[in-house]
Amino acid sequence: MKCKLCSRVAVSELCRYHEGAKRAVEAGYSLWAKAYGEMGWKDYLDKVKRNGQTGQWAKEIAEMLEGLQHD
Amino acid sequence: MVICEKPDAAWRIAEALSDGGARSSTVDGVKLFRFSSRGEEFVVCSAQGHVYAISDPFRERAVYPVFDVEWYPSNLVKEKSAGAARMIGAIHRLAQGAAKFVNACDFDLEGETIGFNVLRYACGGKEEGALRARFSTLTKDDVVNAFKQAKTQAGQGRARAGRARHLVDFVWGVNLSRVLSQSALNSGRGYRPISMGRVQGPTLAFLMERELEIREFVSSPFWKVSGTFEKKGMRFTAGFSHERVRSKAAAEKVRDDCRGNEGIATSVVRRAVQVSPPPPFSTGDLQREAYRTLRFSPSRTLQVAEKLYLKAMISYPRTGSQYLPPSINYKTIIQGLGSDNRYSKLAGKILGGALNPARGTKNDPAHPAIYPTGEVPRGHLDQPEAAVLDLIVRRFFASFGPPATKEVINARLSVGEHDFVLSGERTLYQGWIGSYRRLVSNRDNGVQSITESDRFRVVRMEVEERFEQGPSRYNQSSLLEKMERENIGTKATRADIISTLITRGYVEGNDLKVSDLGFAVFEAMEKYAPAIVTTKLTRQIEERIEEVEGEGEEDAELVRETVRLIANQLVGLNTNADDLGREIDAGITAIAATSDVLGPCPVCNRGHLGIIRSRRTKKRFVGCSNYSSGCRASAPLPQRGTIRPTQKVCPDCSWPVVYVMGGRRPWRLCVNPDCPTKRRSER
Repeated sequence: MKCKLCSRVAVSELCRYHEGAKRAVEAGYSLWAKAYGEMGWKDYLDKVKRNGQTGQWAKEIAEMLEGLQHD
Repeated sequence: MVICEKPDAAWRIAEALSDGGARSSTVDGVKLFRFSSRGEEFVVCSAQGHVYAISDPFRERAVYPVFDVEWYPSNLVKEKSAGAARMIGAIHRLAQGAAKFVNACDFDLEGETIGFNVLRYACGGKEEGALRARFSTLTKDDVVNAFKQAKTQAGQGRARAGRARHLVDFVWGVNLSRVLSQSALNSGRGYRPISMGRVQGPTLAFLMERELEIREFVSSPFWKVSGTFEKKGMRFTAGFSHERVRSKAAAEKVRDDCRGNEGIATSVVRRAVQVSPPPPFSTGDLQREAYRTLRFSPSRTLQVAEKLYLKAMISYPRTGSQYLPPSINYKTIIQGLGSDNRYSKLAGKILGGALNPARGTKNDPAHPAIYPTGEVPRGHLDQPEAAVLDLIVRRFFASFGPPATKEVINARLSVGEHDFVLSGERTLYQGWIGSYRRLVSNRDNGVQSITESDRFRVVRMEVEERFEQGPSRYNQSSLLEKMERENIGTKATRADIISTLITRGYVEGNDLKVSDLGFAVFEAMEKYAPAIVTTKLTRQIEERIEEVEGEGEEDAELVRETVRLIANQLVGLNTNADDLGREIDAGITAIAATSDVLGPCPVCNRGHLGIIRSRRTKKRFVGCSNYSSGCRASAPLPQRGTIRPTQKVCPDCSWPVVYVMGGRRPWRLCVNPDCPTKRRSER
């Protein structure tokens, strides 16, 4: 099976790189929420996606998770 | 008969040794130099680098594995080595009448290999009895001394190590590269060289490791609080004592508490710090410093340094040493440099004190650190040569200078319960910095005027939202440093390995971003032949080559073991050749797709501008992907060189900007022929 976000072989539904990025995005939420006092998951994903420091795969994950929210 | 490595070196050696001048002549179209000295007749010929190269008897890129390899005249192996046949022929003829042989090639593994091969193959087995002249500069004194002290080399450890390195690297590179290229070819796309060398693999692994960290990175926010304080018309900016405030609310509280308040200098700590002079340059040091100050790539710096060496302006530039032994005669060199107006003052100052140059931790038994010879240039130095020479001269001077003394000041300004810190420094005694000033940063910022209990008005308080920076990519200089630290490759080969990674398309841009092809090749290696991309294996072989050099190990055993190891790795690759090919092909496809797309079309704002090749004229141009829907945006492109997208648009017209690579340096081009910047420059 292929990764949902690229053509690499998927571990579950994502490849090992995007899996790693997903873990990093999920782990970041508590830090951001604490830093801003209050922050929703959707708002967080939007900020991560727009942040210039965010890595390419982490951005793709943020976009994917944001899409899941809309669905 | 004297064997040299390069024609310039041959001429300098002949000039230095001759009693009454050297005569140049030609044999079979090959230039050589003849002279007499103390009643003996000499002929000096130059091998022009490697005139012998390793190859396999098949020389077919589809044939692998190949382990039956041998040294051949390089004209039989390499396309651009036609001159080697004439060279070997001429040396062979001259050798018939020679009574004594002297190997005067560069004193390192490469030079030793070149000299050994010429003496063994072209001169007919003269490598054992030949004398070895060993020098670190091409100045007359050094060359004359080297020939006086020339002696035969028992064991030939360095030559055997050099030859073993070539064999190991050839067996490694040729087999892996052929299996990779062939697998990619069999997957249906045309031939494209996909190489993988002994040092190239781990170097690509360093880049990959960093690339993964960068691509997965999620930053976290923090806030920086800073205040502008004023005392008697002087303003200072100080940062909050907690450099990174992790909560927005906490940062804003500090700002609000301090606004309109008064600050008091509660502590001012001054301490004098001695800054030791830097050691003289090793090859890696010079390459890093030239990259930092001149923006020269490591390979370019080495090329320029080679030219300076052949012009007898500097010592041998391939060295790991950071030490200058007294035998190089410091005084004579400094006096020589002092004859140049730019350096006369500095030279005078240094000669007035004791001459004890700083030394670093690294040493190289073959050559001292890089130093200027102090000779006046006989010919013209071009701009890069002059710049690198100036860097070497100043570093040489700096290494003799006394330590500099700086005063470092740390002040604490308290506003209520909140502390702000500011620091600065000033030079109390210049010492060595006087000769290296242009290249050293300075932070004199007036903080020294602050004393304890000074009161300050808070002029402004600011809170700035910041984000943790992700890991930065390697550039050529930092990658070179990493290779040195990990002890892979040699001072002579590291820069070339980085260039190969760029040429092959495994990395892109100045920040060495790993391309899709780089990913594909690395992933394939990691999957099917993981040992190849580990540092451990490469480092082990490097250490064993050093053992051979020190005559602690047999070169034949090292080569045999490498063959066994590569054979094992090839089994994994060959068994999975189809998958391997498909995976690499995917990388090539991705790279081709991205490299042809330049950016969004500013005319229709719907399609993408890309590089298109005309079927009729075969010329390339820029066109819009929305052509079929009526967008006629197009632009001509240079027909020579490689074109790479920059992912940036021109600030004046919003058309994409590309890099055009082909000349000495890549240049940026806005593809829009009607761009206002072009009209301005035409006017």
